[in-house]
Amino acid sequence: MLTQREILSTLEMLQNEHLDVRTVTLGINLFDCASHEPERLRENVRNRIAAVAGHLVTVCNEVGDKYGIPVVNKRIAVSPVAAFGAAHASEDLVAVAETMDAAAGSVNVDFIGGFSALVEKGMARGDRALIEAIPDAMARTERVCASINVASSRAGINMDAVSLMGRTIKRAAALTAQRDGIGCAKLCVFANIPQDIPFMAGAYLGIGEADAVINVGVSGPGVVKKAIDRALEAHPDMDLGQISELIKRTAYKVTRVGELIGREVAEQLGIAFGVVDLSLAPTPNVGDSVGEIFQSLGLKAIGVPGTTAALALLNDAVKKGGAFASSHVGGLSGAFIPVSEDLNISESAEAGHLSLEKLEAVTSVCSVGLDMVALPGDTSEETLAAIIADEMAIGVINKKTTAARLIPVPGKKAGEKAYFGGLLGQSVIMPVNNAAGDNRFIRHGGRIPAPIHSLNN
Amino acid sequence: MKKVIISVVGRDRPGIIATVTRFLFDRGCNVENVSQTILQAQFSGIFIASIPADAAADELEMSLVDAIAHLGMFAHVRDLSAAEANPVFEDAEPFVISTRGPDRKGLVARVTEVIAAYGVNVTNLQAVFKGGDDPDRNVMIYEVDIPRGVDRQALQTDLRKTAAELDLDIAIQHRNIFEAINRI
Repeated sequence: MLTQREILSTLEMLQNEHLDVRTVTLGINLFDCASHEPERLRENVRNRIAAVAGHLVTVCNEVGDKYGIPVVNKRIAVSPVAAFGAAHASEDLVAVAETMDAAAGSVNVDFIGGFSALVEKGMARGDRALIEAIPDAMARTERVCASINVASSRAGINMDAVSLMGRTIKRAAALTAQRDGIGCAKLCVFANIPQDIPFMAGAYLGIGEADAVINVGVSGPGVVKKAIDRALEAHPDMDLGQISELIKRTAYKVTRVGELIGREVAEQLGIAFGVVDLSLAPTPNVGDSVGEIFQSLGLKAIGVPGTTAALALLNDAVKKGGAFASSHVGGLSGAFIPVSEDLNISESAEAGHLSLEKLEAVTSVCSVGLDMVALPGDTSEETLAAIIADEMAIGVINKKTTAARLIPVPGKKAGEKAYFGGLLGQSVIMPVNNAAGDNRFIRHGGRIPAPIHSLNN
Repeated sequence: MKKVIISVVGRDRPGIIATVTRFLFDRGCNVENVSQTILQAQFSGIFIASIPADAAADELEMSLVDAIAHLGMFAHVRDLSAAEANPVFEDAEPFVISTRGPDRKGLVARVTEVIAAYGVNVTNLQAVFKGGDDPDRNVMIYEVDIPRGVDRQALQTDLRKTAAELDLDIAIQHRNIFEAINRI
């Protein structure tokens, strides 16, 4: 017999705190779709996605219905296109992206990730072709997401790739100038990219993975915020140790939900269950914001002094609670702070509380990085590359994942607004300070060596 | 071995279970299962006991009623048939149906009527007034076993329709979600 408290607290989380499963992402291995004939390759990709993902949305809806927990997003992540499409020229890879887009649409998923390359130590022919294809691919598709891993704690930072990504981002923005450079919103540059991220834009199916796998992203930040608010209302004198404990317990609960739903979806599809990603992923809705958690913790807004410490507390408590709740935790597993996708964070940037520099600082204690940051349209390729390099260095030295999803909004200046729509949200354009003049450092190119602590064998 | 089911009701007070179980022990009966609950200071207990071959349910009831009369309690004893004593449970899945909305007469009757029409068994029912006297914050929790053969979609559709007529919010969820969230 269940207790009243067990039932009522669960109903409360569902009805008033946005408890849900943020994403169920189906990873599909496409390596055996490779062919020297572009048309054959595309046909293989189309058929494989239809065959493996055909029932994904229906099964997710059925399982969500059974437990009364909505599965908000259903997505697909495929093997890195640069690897299984290595034989092809960039225009053929753009066509592969269009095939992926159509295949994702036909099975009703909103995003498909894996237009990706891993170039942390060097770029192969296929990698170059893929990166060259990114701007057109992002402009011509709606659902396809791209990610490029340019650095790792084992290999160091491939600065040639970093520079190339600065150029690629500018071109992707130019090709989607009518929509404020939305092409860049589907393009992530990574250090230490995990193989099993369920969240976009970084999801791809790693090379060490099986034919197909289900990875799950847990509920958003609304549940955590409400738990903090409720506890502080009852006990205003709670200290930070007690608040951390409360977040831990809440993270445990939301992770259990993700694990339960993910396992059942995997079982019904006859696919292995992979990991639960513990990240708190916000949306542009009120009550579903990571930024609001900072206010619940007593800060005026994200970005003011105290922000880094608060995020460190939050991120650590979420991981501890989540790790206890699931036997397989993976992906990014930490709080996201995507500026345009989180209403509260974009408002904080607009009010001047959050600067690009502070944002970079807090990425040293959270899971992603400079995420969905709208920058002035005249930000140079070199400056973009330099911002990426800084962010990669934080990841490489601290043996963690960092990423940059930067959008130089064509024709707009700092202080103006960029609109991306839907889950991608909107944001004020943040100024890039001290970026005038040459950046000869970036032009040296080459590879920044791996840090000494990579020698841990 | 014969089995009986004994129900005991009355105002709650110390010594009820002690008196009943001492009575059964003195007559060579063995208590196999007990469930008791207290609702607004009223005690209700169900005992399943095996009894000696020469004992009879009606005699047992008469003497038990006498034995607990001084406590202000009443008892009923009845034989369990062989089929009842060894029940075969239907293959079913446990769900929790919860409703929230204004209190009114006939609310439980209307909801359980739908549940019963599908051959679904209510295993536990609780009413909670979350808002004290506020009837709008009245929550009813039905734990039910839905046989595997039952069309769950149709049951849900009918329940939602009835809930809408009664101005209730309704949720129908597999029990595992509550266990997953709350229990280690």
